[in-house]
Amino acid sequence: MSRDGRAESRRSAPAARRRSGRVIFWLAPLALLPLPLFLNQYQQYVLNLILMYVPVGVGFNVVVGNLGQLAFSNVAFFGLGAYTAGILMAKLGLPWWATVLPAGITGAVAGCAASVPALRGVRSFSLAIMTLAFGELMRWTYIRSEWLTGGSMGMAVPASDLFGWRLDLESHKFYVFLVLAVAVVIATDRLLRSRVGRAFMAIKDNEVAAAAMGVPTGRYYVLGLAWSGFVVGIGGSMYALLVGHLSPDSFNLIELILEFAIIMVGGLGSLVGSVVGAVVITTTPEIFSDFPGFEELIFGLLIVLVILVLPRGLASLLARLHPVFRDRYYESA
Amino acid sequence: MLMMMPQLVVSGVSTGMLYAVVALSMTVVYKATTVVNFGHGDLVMAGAYAAFVFTAGIGLPFVPALVLALGALFLFGQLMQRALIEPILAGPHLSLAMMALAVGNVLRGAARVEWGNETLMLARPYPQTSFLLGPIVLTMDDIVISAVVLLLLLALFVVFHLSPLGKVVQAVFQTQRGAALVGINVRAFHGTMWGTGAALGAAGGALLALNTALTPDMGAWTLVRGFAAMTLGGFGSLYGAVVGGLLLGIMEKLLGFYVSTAFIDITAYVVTIVVLLVRPQGLFGRAAGRSV
Amino acid sequence: MASLLELAEVTVRYGGLNAVDNVSLGVQAGEVCAVIGPNGAGKTTLFNVVTGNAQSTAGRILFRGEEIQRLSPHEIAARGVRRTFQLGALFGELTALENVLTGLHTEIESGLLGLLLGSRRARAAEQAATAEARQLLELMEIGHLADRPARELSGGQQRMVEIVRAVASKPQLLLLDEPAVGLTPPMRAHLESVIRSLAKERQTGILVIEHAIELVMNISDRVIVLNYGAKIADAPPAEARANKAVLEAYLGHA
Repeated sequence: MSRDGRAESRRSAPAARRRSGRVIFWLAPLALLPLPLFLNQYQQYVLNLILMYVPVGVGFNVVVGNLGQLAFSNVAFFGLGAYTAGILMAKLGLPWWATVLPAGITGAVAGCAASVPALRGVRSFSLAIMTLAFGELMRWTYIRSEWLTGGSMGMAVPASDLFGWRLDLESHKFYVFLVLAVAVVIATDRLLRSRVGRAFMAIKDNEVAAAAMGVPTGRYYVLGLAWSGFVVGIGGSMYALLVGHLSPDSFNLIELILEFAIIMVGGLGSLVGSVVGAVVITTTPEIFSDFPGFEELIFGLLIVLVILVLPRGLASLLARLHPVFRDRYYESA
Repeated sequence: MLMMMPQLVVSGVSTGMLYAVVALSMTVVYKATTVVNFGHGDLVMAGAYAAFVFTAGIGLPFVPALVLALGALFLFGQLMQRALIEPILAGPHLSLAMMALAVGNVLRGAARVEWGNETLMLARPYPQTSFLLGPIVLTMDDIVISAVVLLLLLALFVVFHLSPLGKVVQAVFQTQRGAALVGINVRAFHGTMWGTGAALGAAGGALLALNTALTPDMGAWTLVRGFAAMTLGGFGSLYGAVVGGLLLGIMEKLLGFYVSTAFIDITAYVVTIVVLLVRPQGLFGRAAGRSV
Repeated sequence: MASLLELAEVTVRYGGLNAVDNVSLGVQAGEVCAVIGPNGAGKTTLFNVVTGNAQSTAGRILFRGEEIQRLSPHEIAARGVRRTFQLGALFGELTALENVLTGLHTEIESGLLGLLLGSRRARAAEQAATAEARQLLELMEIGHLADRPARELSGGQQRMVEIVRAVASKPQLLLLDEPAVGLTPPMRAHLESVIRSLAKERQTGILVIEHAIELVMNISDRVIVLNYGAKIADAPPAEARANKAVLEAYLGHA
């Protein structure tokens, strides 16, 4: 009895801290609101880039970090989302906002397709090789579908507005992106803290035991990859608006490694990590943008370093600072 | 139309030889440590650049330059395994895949820093002639590439089957723990095999650079084709890698000519996806590890 | 009364070997059956074939009158069959509490849309399940471990958490594969009382694989003895203990 009482108090103190922290956590995006006022055009662009990589990283992390699958199909989801948005805007004249959901849905459909090998029992390195081939095949498709995508020369994405509110201004994009990024984080957070998130982690840890608990593992593979495809596809539509030009080379192996760097450096299986990774990794290449090759060099070294010294990424450092950064219930890091 | 068949097969074999050596180099690494090296394409690229540095940079003749390039990559592969792969070998496959990708990224970045995106060529150490064998045109490139690859295969066969090292190789391929029990230094062996894999990859890279431009990005192209050949032959099968490479080369040419030119590009992707879905063990091998 | 679980001439063949050889047996609701036998007798394979983790080569398996031998493991689990694993199979990354919540997976009613929108119903379902899981851990006297990651727990503690996870959803049939391994004597006594009360109060049918013969004698209503995959005895504990074939099987291997 006394033992339990002590455990209770030990548990509740950080819990209270976490609750108060959580409020701060959700107030943080509000604090970001006046940010564009203090930044120049270019800095605003980088900020938008960060916000765009939030859903991209979050979606990737769900598959790799939570579901535990070595699926390299993220760039395919990203590219398909971007091209869906770009084509709907350029060919059908839709405004950007009307392409966000279709881009997400295209990504989700690709996610369902990418779950087929997993359902057939392909795992680990084999799955990685296969999804890598899938991504490269998609890139080839963008190149060859010249009538639709402009081929290897790429396509221009027309400027757009939101009911008359100009979306060609970086500061305006910022507010739209902020809403989307926060929405994706909140929705994914709810998913991961529910029985769905537990099912993902259970499958990652021990698929047989998960099934023995009545978890329909196949259905969760599809759900995990589809959700990933959905949010990454939305990220793709943000890319189309942000960069204004789509070319197949933007969705190659280098992009894949950048996205990997986001979740590895941020922290695998951690929502906080995805966000932190997006901030750190997106700003790095911009610093080195005048030196071709440096960005790859730095990413490579960063990932090597993280694997060797900080396998749970920057999120694990943050989790030690304040419990609000913890993704899970338990106390030890 | 059928007249073209022999010609297509011959040039397919020549390309296939390159795929075979790349797939073989990846298989050596996989067999020794059951790690699929996602950075292997960049080792191939590094080998090509090393050959370029030793010929165009230092001015050595081709053959000594090739030997030096192979030696350099052997050391690099060994170092990579000892310093970066061995410490996490027991860890999740994700870390292993990422580590290899990251090392590849560093190599690619370094190549880009040094040579940017300029396209370099490796000077052929022989005249670019061709021979007519009946209806078939045989280029000097075809002959040299095939000859070098066959020599490498022969050397590998001798090492794995006839030399004292071969006994070690076979023992460790059978069972790692058993090999450790009988006093084989498994760690050193892992390093040697990674070195061998990297050196073989470098040979592939140098040969590739004889008739293709050198770019820092050539690794991805190579990696995908190496994977396809390896998958087709079956993971972990040395013979499978060679047969898979040759088959892939021939299929690219035949499908590219008779069906659609698109197949020159996409055969590798399609083969990888279809084989893993339909027959994951490939032609000769066992299915790759199933746990992450 | 029809049996809760009924195996009719079930065979599981691996290569040339019959891991389970023409076994027929029945388990009633509220009955505790021990499955004993020398190593390699096919005990775990018998569990696997019931839970869908192994495919039967011949025979029929009926759970509450329904054939289940073609169903996948999660479908069988969802019908009210839960198990623990011989080597332990907790989700190491998850906390003890989250492990138990996974055991409640099929009991938590929340739609995807409700979850994403944070609907009151989804949140209430989650909170109710969490409270229930905590209470279950308290009942097992391991409430203080609730928020620790499972991989940090001792072997015995892990066993206990795994049992809580298996019984959380109130299964009608429970299969325990060597549940007492690594338990301290007090934990073992507690386990015995838990098994007995599950059978008496919840009418759970229980199959237990166990080597600790004392535990088997204490808890079981019936003992099923397997040897080389075949059933060689099926009798109350005292009788099984005196059975000649059983003694031979054990002594022959000792």
